[in-house]
Amino acid sequence: MANMAVSRIKREFKEVMRSEEIVQCSIKIELINDSWTELRGEIAGPPDTPYEGGKFVLEIKVPETYPFNPPKVRFITKIWHPNISSVTGAICLDILKDNWAAAMTLRTVLLSLQALLAAAEPDDPQDAVVAYQYKDKYQLFLMTAKHWTNIYAGGPHKFTECDSKIQRLKDMGIDEHDARAVLSKENWDLEKATENLFS
Amino acid sequence: MDKIEQNDGTNRDELIMQQQREIEKEISDSTPLVSEQLPITCLNAEYLGDEVFTSKIQDLAGKYKFLRRTRPDGNCFFRAFAYAYLEHLISNKDEYLRFKDLAEKSKDKLVQLGFPSFTLEDFHDTFMEVVKRVDPASGSTDQVCDELHKVFNEQGYSDYVVVYLRLLTSGKLQEEADFYQHFIEGNFTIEEFRHQEVEPMYKESDHIHIIALCTALGVGVRVEYMDRGDTHVKAHDFPEGSTPKVFLIYRPGHYDILYPN
Repeated sequence: MANMAVSRIKREFKEVMRSEEIVQCSIKIELINDSWTELRGEIAGPPDTPYEGGKFVLEIKVPETYPFNPPKVRFITKIWHPNISSVTGAICLDILKDNWAAAMTLRTVLLSLQALLAAAEPDDPQDAVVAYQYKDKYQLFLMTAKHWTNIYAGGPHKFTECDSKIQRLKDMGIDEHDARAVLSKENWDLEKATENLFS
Repeated sequence: MDKIEQNDGTNRDELIMQQQREIEKEISDSTPLVSEQLPITCLNAEYLGDEVFTSKIQDLAGKYKFLRRTRPDGNCFFRAFAYAYLEHLISNKDEYLRFKDLAEKSKDKLVQLGFPSFTLEDFHDTFMEVVKRVDPASGSTDQVCDELHKVFNEQGYSDYVVVYLRLLTSGKLQEEADFYQHFIEGNFTIEEFRHQEVEPMYKESDHIHIIALCTALGVGVRVEYMDRGDTHVKAHDFPEGSTPKVFLIYRPGHYDILYPN
């Protein structure tokens, strides 16, 4: 059984390596260990989204029962998206759960994740806070997502206002990422963020 | 806003999936994928003191001599069908050749229908390997039957066969979408139904799956329905009016194989 999972992954690995997307640098896949059970994926943020210009790293774990059960995938790169946990990187995507089919591959997973970045589903959220902001304060959501892409994924948009608010909290001894997370959650309201941190 | 909790610490979907896997493991540790032939009366033990079922089991025992259980993992229809049909082919050489030819050609048809050839090839190769391993010409009937039983109890091979049948079923639904659309309840499109209810492993089968697969392969199936209604088991042939080659018993949520007298 385990052998079937491994031989399948080996073939898939070659498939990704030969794919058009890899030529365009839009997806990438690497081995982590010799047992073929753990891989590292990478997807480029799709154009015309707040993730554009960013590179997002994924942890991919292949279960022994692959391809009958889906691979376990999560974002290692921190990301601000309604269907991805801003804390753990856990992903809410149907094909990684109930709708996985053995005819799918790592390549389809990576492409589906890219599609998820381009089309969020805030009504089926993984991260309720992000989803709320997405629905209620879309402009702030865009800014936050771009800011996170800039900081964690190498995206191009710098927001000095965000940086200076984070600096204010850092000056109070707060860890940089914690400061960013709280400010993002509080819609960049410095007063509320401070209250949240110190109450 | 403050009221919304981050639900990340305990990812509920993960927990549900994990629990599901544990239940699956418990079932797989206790039941083989396909059992030996058992007397029909072995069902009695599950319905002790239940008059409706006891009388139905008696009714069934008048028509069938054996039952072969399949693991209740949501794939039971596909696994039972494949096992029973290949077993039927072991003593029907001409039909074996017809089926082998049809199975051989089915891959190109699925590719034409738009299935990704990369994964399809993998499943088709393994499926054909299984079909060839139970070639009636490869040994005595007993030897080939033993080989069939062995290969269907090897999880890898057994599941690959299930996947390939799921793909054939899905292909048929797509090919005749206009017809099958009428059978779908709720607001599913054929496309959604195929991806959510047919192609994924462990998804249970309904009439629509059975009709599509039987039609795709040109194989008649008789299903004996055993539920709370009436006093006799009710037989239903798929497709209607066909001569059944495969006999199954359906109890709510599960299919096993039957052997007629």
